[in-house]
Amino acid sequence: MNSSEADTYYLSRQAREAEATLEQLQDDFPDNPQAMQYFYDLFHRVYGQGEIIKHSGKLVGTTCIHAPEELIYAFGATPVRLCNGSYHYDQIGADFMPAKSCSLVKATLGSLQAKAAVPNTQSLDLIVNPTTCDQKTKASAMMSAMGYKVEDLELPPAKESEEARLYWQRSVRRLATRLRELTGNKLTRKKLQHAMARTSRAQTAFRTLHQLRKSAPTILLGKDAFLVTNAYFFDDIERWTAAVEQLNNELLQRQQDGFQAAQKRAPRILFTGSPPIFPNLKLPILIETSGGVVVADETCSANRMLYDMTAVDEWRLNDMVDSLADRYLKPCTCPIFTRNDDRQRRLLQLATDFKVDGVVYQAFSGCQVYEMEYRSIADALAERGLPMLYVETDYSPDDMGQLSTRIEAFLESIKTRKRQAL
Amino acid sequence: MNYYAGIDIGSTAIKAALIDDEGKIVGTHIAPTGSSFHKNALDTFMNLLNQHGIERQAVKFITATGYGRKLFKEADDSISEITANAIGAYEAGKAFGGVRTIINIGGQDSKAIQIDVQGNVSNFAMNDKCAAGTGRFLDVAARNLEIDLEELGDYHFAGRNAPLTINSTCAVFAESEIIGLLAKGHGKQEIVSGIHYSIARRTVRLAKRVGIEDRVYFDGGPALNKGLVAAMQDELGRELVIPEHPQTTTAFGAAILARSLFLAESKEEA
Repeated sequence: MNSSEADTYYLSRQAREAEATLEQLQDDFPDNPQAMQYFYDLFHRVYGQGEIIKHSGKLVGTTCIHAPEELIYAFGATPVRLCNGSYHYDQIGADFMPAKSCSLVKATLGSLQAKAAVPNTQSLDLIVNPTTCDQKTKASAMMSAMGYKVEDLELPPAKESEEARLYWQRSVRRLATRLRELTGNKLTRKKLQHAMARTSRAQTAFRTLHQLRKSAPTILLGKDAFLVTNAYFFDDIERWTAAVEQLNNELLQRQQDGFQAAQKRAPRILFTGSPPIFPNLKLPILIETSGGVVVADETCSANRMLYDMTAVDEWRLNDMVDSLADRYLKPCTCPIFTRNDDRQRRLLQLATDFKVDGVVYQAFSGCQVYEMEYRSIADALAERGLPMLYVETDYSPDDMGQLSTRIEAFLESIKTRKRQAL
Repeated sequence: MNYYAGIDIGSTAIKAALIDDEGKIVGTHIAPTGSSFHKNALDTFMNLLNQHGIERQAVKFITATGYGRKLFKEADDSISEITANAIGAYEAGKAFGGVRTIINIGGQDSKAIQIDVQGNVSNFAMNDKCAAGTGRFLDVAARNLEIDLEELGDYHFAGRNAPLTINSTCAVFAESEIIGLLAKGHGKQEIVSGIHYSIARRTVRLAKRVGIEDRVYFDGGPALNKGLVAAMQDELGRELVIPEHPQTTTAFGAAILARSLFLAESKEEA
């Protein structure tokens, strides 16, 4: 962004959309943790004012959590996740995709097409695009046509078989080659170890935060938890980790003080499905302004992105890369895989661990894989007596009235059921 | 005597219901929502009281529901129309031997609700943001055909030929489809029954998604339309329970809730 663009950036629709969401996140809720101020300010600077976060080395955009960030860091480059949550870019991106396509893919393409997008995409040296769903797969060629360098990170459609595993390991090795060409750096054991340690420090901070959300009554609202993980998309990883550690300390204090961030009987919600990405936090915000509280999630913008850690004790560099690849394939609960029993298992586990009262399942219109998994997840939850609300929506704000009725009715039915169980 | 009120502020109409200490219905009143809905809601409520010569102070608790529920500050509490509808239908359904499934078609949405034996919502589904298959769709169609909304039922049964198929599920596209059918010389009767079947199909699909249990209660303004009721019964393959006043079931449910909330609160105070 040059200086004249920066001067007017705050007037853009994208900036105003972001500011409106930030205002909601802060003003519609009392007693936000003080440590959240770092994140509110960060989004205000980056999304509201167009500030560019400094990075070292080449800037590598990723369009999915399947791109192994440790590998990118190990080559001295900086990853930035491009998945976009803006309705404004969704409309720009609509030019590239059929009418009924996923808002997330459209918004990501829209932001790449737009100038002065957030986070800054003009200096991207490479985009790593894992071939997950059909829409993301086809987006590769479109991004290339826009003039970006794109590496298709080929992902198998299954994850259980040995063939899939080998295929994926080869894809990741090919990415390593591409990164070596891009950066001119050589991958060493030491560099990879260092990168893994750094990511795992961030993940440890996330896990602590995750565990703290088990507290009943709750000490942190889900809308803030999503903002924290959304910041991981683009923030400096060391600074992000420090900010989360600070938040954790405050939450620990809250826990000791017996502080409650919501009413004691507020229904505890597990959020799953299409990922909430800033500024599209409309569903978590609606749940929490209607008297519920999101205590855990199973989405690729939060838990699925950060929960599973790499534990590598291989001696040789090649083996290290292979086991890093495994971490990005095996535990993933994305619905693109042929079989995905892991997702059911994880949801049921989270529901138990976090004393969940109900599940909200978001599916972006046009995100077929989430739409298709709706039935099996609903059945698995029903078997456990867990109520689920399935919401098909997109980035546009015009279904807010209807959604608030549905969410309130869902929360009311949970409360009645709990009252009667007493 | 104490009274309790439920006021359902919908997209098209405001419905108010009043019940007494025993939970018996005293009266209901319906008025168009209009553009200044807050004033109209208040007027509807006051009209209802005046009709029955009841003082404002005698109304001990008001529960608001419907799209305007949160903006009606005169109410003591608010509840989503899904829960209110379930309470109202459960109570009104007792006269028919009890109901477990509710189909509601409103001005801008349609819903299917499943309730358990105690009358609590166990599952529900709602149309996604679009006027297809809602009261609004009937409104637009009647206007295109230049007939009154109330006449739709009569037209439904008057046709000699089979109902036409209306493919467009979108209210906007259906409009041009209807105009096209008229231009081809099709009778209004067949078009009307075609519209009813198109709405019925969509609504029944919604109901099947939540699961159909026991007797099915059909309410909301469009339940007054005999033609639509017939089409729904056809698609569903079973009889529907149609209450005497299908428009006010939700307001009635809100009034019942107002009464129990008031009684619970006074018990707590005592």
